[in-house]
This record gives sequence, structure tokens and C-alpha cells, in this order.
Amino acid sequence: MKVTFPHMGSTLVYRKLVEMLGHEAITPPKPSQRTIDLGVKYSPEFACFPMKVIMGSYVEALEKGAEVILTSGGHGPCRAGFYGEMHKRILNNLGYEVDVWVFDSIKRDYKNFMNIVKKLKGDNSWLRLWTILKLLYQVTKDVDGFEMQLQTKRAYETKKGDCTRAWDKIQHIYNSVQDEKGLKEARQQCQNLIDEIPVMIIPEDQKIRIGIVGEIYVVMESAANMKMEETLGSLGCEVRRSHYISEWIEHNMIPKAFSKSHEEEILKKGEKYIEIKIGGHAKETMGNIVDFHEQGFDGIIHLMPFGCLPELVSQSIMPKLMDDLDIPVLTIALDEQTGTSNNLTRIEAFLDLIRNKKRNRLSKVS
Amino acid sequence: MRVGIPRGLLYQYYYPFWKTFFEELKVEIIVSSPTTKEIVNKGIEFSVPEICVPMKVYTGHVEQIIDKVDYVFIPRMVSISDKEYFCPKFMGLPDMIKYTVPGALNKILSPKIKSDSDSIANPKFYGELKSRLGISTWDLHRALKKADKAWNNFRALSKKGYILTDALDIFEGKKVPSKEPTFKDGEVTIGILGYVYDIYDPFISMDITDKLKELNVNVLTFEMLEDQAIKDSIKFMHKKLFWTFSNKLLGAGYHFYQNPKVDGIIQVTAFNCGPDSMIGKMLELESNHFEKPFMTVRIDEHTGESHLQTRVEAFIDMIRRKKMAGGVSRESNLSPYGLNTSI
Ligand code: SF4
Ligand code: SF4
Repeated sequence: MKVTFPHMGSTLVYRKLVEMLGHEAITPPKPSQRTIDLGVKYSPEFACFPMKVIMGSYVEALEKGAEVILTSGGHGPCRAGFYGEMHKRILNNLGYEVDVWVFDSIKRDYKNFMNIVKKLKGDNSWLRLWTILKLLYQVTKDVDGFEMQLQTKRAYETKKGDCTRAWDKIQHIYNSVQDEKGLKEARQQCQNLIDEIPVMIIPEDQKIRIGIVGEIYVVMESAANMKMEETLGSLGCEVRRSHYISEWIEHNMIPKAFSKSHEEEILKKGEKYIEIKIGGHAKETMGNIVDFHEQGFDGIIHLMPFGCLPELVSQSIMPKLMDDLDIPVLTIALDEQTGTSNNLTRIEAFLDLIRNKKRNRLSKVS
Repeated sequence: MRVGIPRGLLYQYYYPFWKTFFEELKVEIIVSSPTTKEIVNKGIEFSVPEICVPMKVYTGHVEQIIDKVDYVFIPRMVSISDKEYFCPKFMGLPDMIKYTVPGALNKILSPKIKSDSDSIANPKFYGELKSRLGISTWDLHRALKKADKAWNNFRALSKKGYILTDALDIFEGKKVPSKEPTFKDGEVTIGILGYVYDIYDPFISMDITDKLKELNVNVLTFEMLEDQAIKDSIKFMHKKLFWTFSNKLLGAGYHFYQNPKVDGIIQVTAFNCGPDSMIGKMLELESNHFEKPFMTVRIDEHTGESHLQTRVEAFIDMIRRKKMAGGVSRESNLSPYGLNTSI
């Protein structure tokens, strides 16, 4: 079976899962202008931006011969819940004989989840499946850890692009991990790679730390957010995101009894501002900002697809939260018409503001 | 003790419930005035620009009464149907208002409504009111029962065919029920599709139902239909929308298409309404199939009245001409279907 999946940041886990179970993985290319154009062309105009980009990715993967699309369902009750269905219909209309398998959270729809697992599992033994899942979970944990190191280092790299190159290599190295032994070697190799990157030494009080929060797709996929992490890195900021794949797995795939996920803590922190889950990631957005603030971050970039229903609620409450926590937040709405240059100016101004604020605070103390 | 009720969003649908409820509890209520320019401007001032107009209008209503009351009643509408929800903006409404309207922070009463039907009378939703309003469990139960009854009577008026504004007037005793609920002699019948807060807000839809009456048109809306009929007409859909009122509109839309008495459909929607854009598209695509004209009127705070008037008149004219020419279906080469331009 030729299986494809959405491109959301990294495709490593999906690809490995598919390949290790003996299927052929058709990895969609990193979304480009062509992807977005295709997506816009074939999606209804009202669809949310993430849905359009993903649509484009699917078309590109189908051009490469994919037969099955493996994806995860929406988060809470929002438009995303229909994406699987809508994508399938549109693609079938375009003449592609494609099946769409939607992984909804195991906690929400156990039967459907197990159905897909069985289809994917094929002739593999349950033990083999378990070993693969365990390994992949380790892989995501490792890779997320390395990504964070790079998100810090990128701010200080002496040669521009080193960290991004290392990141590509790391994904490549992990792509060929087949077992525990390989995992250990990869871990060592990647750590060395990172340690070798030369960096400038910046005094602690001049470091800027930015948290990126918001709707999951535009936070995770750099092609949809004007390469926000790299941009901030090149402007000298350390970066963390609100979403990492390993955390998503912990929250959605591992039964509650075994773990109190990071995401639950985040939700708790968001409760003061948005009491209940309202769909999408609005409540998480609030919780993540509180969390970043507690960790001492200097500012927040809040990314949302244009017109995103739940994020409009978080955007509404943002001024109050900024006031309460005294943390600067810049909200950026993204869609296919987003102009990079205009937003770059906004980001630079935002960083100036943060630097000034920091300087003032320091001079007050001394 | 005074409780404020903003005249926006679900006011038109649940006011008889809320009013009876608070009256039974001997709580004085203050309802904001019908929407005015000032209310809208205040709403704009305290909202993010991209949010839909009904939310802006509602914000303005809260602002108008916030200083005059001890509490504002903003129930958190989560669900009134199994496995369905409200639009995310509704679910986050009390939070939004709390943090955006000056003075609202500690004044919001927001019982969480998580019902499996349109009835919102289950006492377990209203626990928080007991301590804040100082009422006993027994009082609460009694008031809810009464409120539910009043609300059911009111809903029955709609189902008889009264336009919602008339039904509210009858409920308030401002009007006596007439023999014939609505105007039924029009030459043309139009199904209007839209949320109650769009259709019946004099500012948002500029009294579109009155305009249609003046044009000698009969009007049908979703709240006049039986819930079951609405559900049945979208039974065929594999996966329904997540949002209850949007599903009601979608169901009503299909019902209008299938109902031979209905000559055309006008969707009234707010700019930037995510759910409506989905419904609009689906129904627009069906317009050809059912050979019935469908028009979308999109409204925001800058929409001019004359524009709306012109568009509605042109649409009705077109339908009238078709009818005189002997039925819509025979003139299919002059395709009027799926008009979907915004004003
Ligand atoms: S959360 Fe936002 S982007 Fe996602 S489906 Fe809802 S409106 Fe669209
Ligand atoms: S359903 Fe549409 S009009 Fe109503 S609150 Fe949501 S976005 Fe606004």
C-alpha cells in the first residue's frame, strides 16, 4: 500500500510508522507556493487556511502515486472535524481513487482508532507493532529534544543556517533508525552534530526568549507561517513552540491512567481566561502563554489562521492577559494572502519593544 | 437585585424562558434597548475587528446595561443537542465579555448549558445561581419549570407560523394572537435562512421580514418548522456539522428546497461567519439541482440599507417574473440559480 500523510512540520513519525509496518511511504514535499496554489484552487474558498495547504499537499502526494491518506482528526468541535471527509470528496471528484483514514483521538473514538490500527498493522504481530510504537515514541521524544536545542542555538549561531542544516541532518539520521541500538547511535551522533555548531556568547541578560502559540497547523508548519522560527532565530531570539509531536502523542494516544499529559496542565493554566474547551486550540493558547510567562519568556507570537473561530476568542481576551501578566503578545493572522514583508516589519518592531522593555527593567533594578 | 439581559444573540429564541425564570425568582430584569447605532459603535470599540457582527452587537448591548445592573446574564451555551455544540464564539462568549467590556469582570452570571435538547430547563445547569442570587433549590426548580412552560408556549407560536418578533410581542402581551398567524396571501413565498440574531435584529438585517411583507411575500423561517422535519431533511448526510443552529439552518434549507410552496431562498449571514460559509456553499451547490433560486446576503456593520432593499427587491422581481412565465423550471436558460454575491 502506498500511504501518504499531511506535512505538518516534520513528517518523520508518520513516515517511519508507515515504512516499518511494511507499506510504502509517499512523503509529501515540503509545502511550497505551488502547494498553496493547488490547495487554494481545489478547496472551497471558505475553508480555513490549514485545510487548503493540506489539500495541496495531498494533491502533490497523489501525483506521486499515493493510494491512502493517513491523517489525524480535528481537535475539539471545529471545522477541522470535516477535513478528512471534505478532502476525500474533493479528491475523489478530481478523479483520484484515494482512501482517507482519520485517526481521531483514541479517547474519543476507540473503535475507529482500532480499525485503522488493524488496517495499518496488516500481517505484523501485535508484539512487533508494540515494539515499533515504543521505538517511534522514543524517536519523537529525542527529535523534539534536539529541535529544542536547535531552537535555542539558532539565535547565536555564527554561521547562518547551521542549525537548520543540522536539523535536516538529524531527521535524516533518525529516519534510518530501526531498533534500540540504532536509536542510541543516532542519539549520540545527533548530539555531536549540535555540539559542533559554533555559537556566539551572549550575556544572559541580553537573551530574548519567544514562545510561539496558536492553532496547531500554523504553529507547526513553517511553510504556513513564513518560517517563523527561523526568522526569529536569525533575529537573535530563542524560540519554543506550544506544540511538539511527542506531547501530542502523549495527550491523544496514551490512556489517561498512565500519564497526566503536559497538555492537561496547560489546559488548567488556561482556565482562568477561557473556562472550557471551545474547539481548536484556543484554551491551550491561553494556557501556553501563562506557562511561557512562568518560565520567564520575554514575549509571545500568537499565530492563527485568518478568521479562525476559536482563536478569535483568544485574540479577544489577549489584551487582558497581556495586562495581567505584563508580557507582550503579537497576534499574526495567516492565510494565502499573507504578505511576508509587512509582517516582518511588525515582528522587528515587536522585538524592539521587547528589548527596550528588558533594558528599562534592568536599569530600574540596578 | 437586578439582572441584565442583553438583547442580542439568543435573546430572540430564549427570552421568554429567561424572563419568566427571573420573574419567578423575584429578580428584577433590565433588558438592553433594541440595537442602535450607538450600541453598535460601542460593540465595535470593545471587539476585535475580524469578529462577526452579531458578536460586536452583543458586546455593545452588554456595555449599555453593565453599569445599571448587579449581574449580566450570559449563559454559556455549550450544547443543546447530543454530540453537537455551539459555534466556538458562543462557547467562549462569557470569557470574551468578561475580559473586554469594562466593568463586566465580576458581574457575569453564566450557567453552563449542556443539554441534549432545545430545552434548557435542567436544574443541574443552574447550580451557580443559587449562591449568587441567594435562592433555594426549591425556588430554582419551580422557576425553571415555569420558564420551560412559557418557552414551550412561545415556541408553539413560532411553529404555528408567527414571525418571531410577533411571537415575542404576543408573549409579552403587546399583541393578541390573530386568526391567521402570518401574512399568507403573498404571491411569493421565501424561505429565509439565518440565525435569529441576524434575522430579527433591526440593525443587522434591517427588518428584512417587514421588507418582504411589504413586497407581498410570505416568509418561512427555520424556527417555524418542526424539529423533526429539520432533522429528517439532513438525515442523508453522513457527517453533520458540529454546530446545532447551523445544522438547523442546513436542515431548513433542504426543507425549503423540497417544499413546493417555497419559491426561493434568501440566506442572511454575517461577514466572517465560519459556519455559515459552509452552509451557504452546500446549499448554493444544491440550487441547480432543485431548480430554486438561492441568494446570499452578507452583512457587516457597514452595510447600507438601500443596498439590501435593492437586492431583495431584484430577487423577488426575478422570482415573480419566472412565476408569471409559468414556473421557474421552464426558463432554465436564464439561470438565476446560486446567486451568491455579497452586498
Ligand atoms: S480551529 Fe481554526 S483553523 Fe482549525 S478548523 Fe477551527 S476555524 Fe479552522
Ligand atoms: S455562528 Fe457565525 S454569526 Fe454566529 S457567532 Fe458563530 S461566527 Fe458569529
